[in-house]
Amino acid sequence: MIYDVNAYIGKWPYWPVRSSSSAEVAGELTGWGIDRAAICSTRSIFVHWDDGNCEVEQAAKNAPDRFVAFATLGTLELSHQLPRRGYDFEAYAVRGFRGVRLFPHHHSYHPLYDGFVDTVLEDAAARRWPVLLPLRLIMNWGMPMLELAVIEALVERHPRVNWILSGINYLWELQLAVRLMRRIPSVNLETSCVMGYAAVEKLVEQCGAERLLFGSGAPIQHGAAALSKILHAAIDTNSKEQITSGTFRRLVGEI
Amino acid sequence: MIVDAHVHIGKSTRLQIAADGEMLVRIADRIGFDKICCTDLTALFYDMHEGNRLLAGEMRKFPDRILGYASLHSTRFGQEAIEELDRCYHDYGMRGLKIYSTPEMSIAEPCTIPILEKCVELDIPILAHTTPQECEFLLGHVPGAKLIMAHAGSQPFARGDWNRAIMAAQRFPSLYLDTASSTIDTGFLETCVNTLGAERIIFGTDTPLLDPWPQLMKVRETKLTQDALALVMGGNILRLMGAAA
Repeated sequence: MIYDVNAYIGKWPYWPVRSSSSAEVAGELTGWGIDRAAICSTRSIFVHWDDGNCEVEQAAKNAPDRFVAFATLGTLELSHQLPRRGYDFEAYAVRGFRGVRLFPHHHSYHPLYDGFVDTVLEDAAARRWPVLLPLRLIMNWGMPMLELAVIEALVERHPRVNWILSGINYLWELQLAVRLMRRIPSVNLETSCVMGYAAVEKLVEQCGAERLLFGSGAPIQHGAAALSKILHAAIDTNSKEQITSGTFRRLVGEI
Repeated sequence: MIVDAHVHIGKSTRLQIAADGEMLVRIADRIGFDKICCTDLTALFYDMHEGNRLLAGEMRKFPDRILGYASLHSTRFGQEAIEELDRCYHDYGMRGLKIYSTPEMSIAEPCTIPILEKCVELDIPILAHTTPQECEFLLGHVPGAKLIMAHAGSQPFARGDWNRAIMAAQRFPSLYLDTASSTIDTGFLETCVNTLGAERIIFGTDTPLLDPWPQLMKVRETKLTQDALALVMGGNILRLMGAAA
């Protein structure tokens, strides 16, 4: 079984992508050899985070063997109104969500200065829910990026969170991820944007396969291409299994 | 016949690469590539004469596997660059040119034009690390140049915009797109081929900066016909270089 921690449903606003509905994405993932995926709706990123969560909830209910729901959380403040409520993690748990995703570079808040982030992270840590934090959405040089120093500061501020660093490519980006993983045991890395030569081998040697998760960025990114870097890496079978399923299942509480 | 048209040889601390021909041929064997087209990093970033000489040595060690691009670290060396290109073609047997470009040191300037004209005279392709806009400048001045846009816009200076690269290639029939890139977007190759034709797309991996496996899979695992794939994955670059399969 191949588990993917970083897949999407929903429309892609920048160029045509052939799959967007949950059924289409499920079919695409199957074609690429991916059995199960944690999904986020792009509606959560580009329209409103909680509307997208409703789509994710429905997709996971319709196909619980294919999809795991991660809740995208954003600020509750509006242009005309201060927050009137807080985040109800218990309600999200009841709805079937198993993790959190943050997209500060798409949601117009600074993760170090907007207080809701600390609240969310403390709640996520208490529930042991993983929190996926992307440097960038997909590996495209035109996508907005978080500053590496901001990621480092946020992770260090919340060392109890089960972090899944995302959107990391190569060179100094990867060096930051390794540095954080070596210093903080609860920091993990998903591989959707890791493109460097022998990067997976080096990551396993430096941090251990139990800290790595396969991520595809599908269907925007090519799932089989993303998976190939794990399947063809010069690492042992146990490490491959760990990256493609073990770490994911541990973080979402399936094992 | 699979030919990787975008490979780096030599040393670069900036790219954290130290690779000789033996290492690169071993990688090619492992993944199933028949030939690799290399550019030397010393020639590309520091000293064209030294780097191209080093690459020529590696080509002699692996004559059936390594094809060479002559590389110029700058296009501002006038006649010296032209003579180096001549040497690489006639003495070393290199059948392409690789040039880099950054926003600070863009090659979209008049001094590049004689070099492109020399490439037209030699009938060799130019693999240029350029933005779509730079390609438009260069081909606007030398429309006969066979220009391969490295990374097809999917590089930092071009802001990852492969859609714009395709639009540029629609305007210039001698502009080709290289697939090597950190970007592995679904549908990229199909869009390129449907818009431009398979003859205009060149398979590359950017090894050993990038992992060649995703680069191969994003091209091979597509909905293209076998004929189209054969062009993209080797036929086109061999045709442009005038190299025997």
